Amino acid sequence: MFVHRRKPWQRPDSEATPEAAVLAHAARPRRLSRRGLLAGAAAVGAVGTAGGIAARAQGRDPMAWWEAQAGNDPTRALYPAARTAAYTLDRPLTEPREAITYNNFYEFGSHKGIWQAAQRLETRPWTVTIDGLVARPRTVDIDALIRTFPLEERLYRFRCVEAWAMAVPWTGFPLAAFLRWAEPLGSAKYVIFETFQNPAVAPGFRQTWYPWPYRDGFTIAECANELAFMVTGIYGRPLPPQMGAPLRVITPWKYGFKQPKSLTRITFVADRPVGYWEKLQPSEYGFWANVNPAVAHPRWSQATERMLGTNERRPTLIWNGYGEQVAGLYAGLGHERLFA
Amino acid sequence: MPVSATSACSPEAAGARRCMRAFLRLLAGVLAVLVLALALWPAAREAASLAQGAHRFIPLGQLWFELDRASLNMAQAGIQRYVAPWLWEDVVQRLLVLPAWPVLGGVALLLLLLRLLLLRPRAR
Repeated sequence: MFVHRRKPWQRPDSEATPEAAVLAHAARPRRLSRRGLLAGAAAVGAVGTAGGIAARAQGRDPMAWWEAQAGNDPTRALYPAARTAAYTLDRPLTEPREAITYNNFYEFGSHKGIWQAAQRLETRPWTVTIDGLVARPRTVDIDALIRTFPLEERLYRFRCVEAWAMAVPWTGFPLAAFLRWAEPLGSAKYVIFETFQNPAVAPGFRQTWYPWPYRDGFTIAECANELAFMVTGIYGRPLPPQMGAPLRVITPWKYGFKQPKSLTRITFVADRPVGYWEKLQPSEYGFWANVNPAVAHPRWSQATERMLGTNERRPTLIWNGYGEQVAGLYAGLGHERLFA
Repeated sequence: MPVSATSACSPEAAGARRCMRAFLRLLAGVLAVLVLALALWPAAREAASLAQGAHRFIPLGQLWFELDRASLNMAQAGIQRYVAPWLWEDVVQRLLVLPAWPVLGGVALLLLLLRLLLLRPRAR
């Protein structure tokens, strides 16, 4: 069957500018300057290169760009999902524009203009491989995987290790439901989540000295916790690429660097893995990465957090405020470095 | 106070210039030795891998990563966040993917050349 998927920049005829307006614009007198020609040539060159989609995102309104992308997502009809009332916030929701334009995605760089660079990431077609200690290793199409589970919306706090925070409505399905579906063997003790790796898409992969692809892991018990969430959308729409489309993990009691994005592989293993950031900077980033205001990062305090959009400073909460649900996971692990 | 031609040519001034040239010669020589020693490390490893039939260039970034990964990470974040993202991707990253020992060897040669130039007596 041939399925035609519209690209984000392809618009329906109904949105086309009226012919009269185009002709009136064309009729306006203008000077053809050398500078204009050079700028035009540069723009055409930029659009024609590998960064074409990202280049087209330059100067575009991020919300309009995202809306166009979401409109072409094969799972668009599943959004917005019903909100689960059990998960409430102690603070206002972050404005969507703030949340989708202030992101970390190391594959695309370490600056804060990631949203434009990440538009190079094509999220369809996309598959996810489930392997390791499972009853039935398999590779599944992302749309089939998303449709396997009923989607729900949850309001969660999100705390980055860089001391900024946001409060957002994620859409997805419980990681516990995914675990049951994946059928891990009894010998599986940890789950590793792996992000895409495509050097043609993200400049970070040219830095071959880094331990690509991004991988990080959790214990099976953490994954089975009610808060652990497989996220496919945000603000009632499919995720934008810069936030980890088409599938990512959210464990809201942990720092953001421990939230794998754009997943391509999920592997069940017996031994504790060493995550990407733990390999890079073990003195600063550990396996557990649980939020704790009393344990400072080696280079800054974690006592407070800056809310995206408002810049309000709030005191950081231990376990990011989810102690009731997760503190029990760590009973008897006092000898571990739980909060870094 | 402006320095007059007379004072610039005074024995004291000439002595100071000689001291400065001697210091620069020493600095260039020491740096050349250090950079050359640094170049030998990846060169030796590449030679070993070549002997095993699996040669692969070790890029400058790899060397920096192995020596001090924290400073590499901080340099990237600092340049991309506070200067310009393109400066890292289009300039620094392009340098860092170059093979380490030829680049470092070249820098060591330039330093030795500089030292030789400083050794030449100045024309009067």
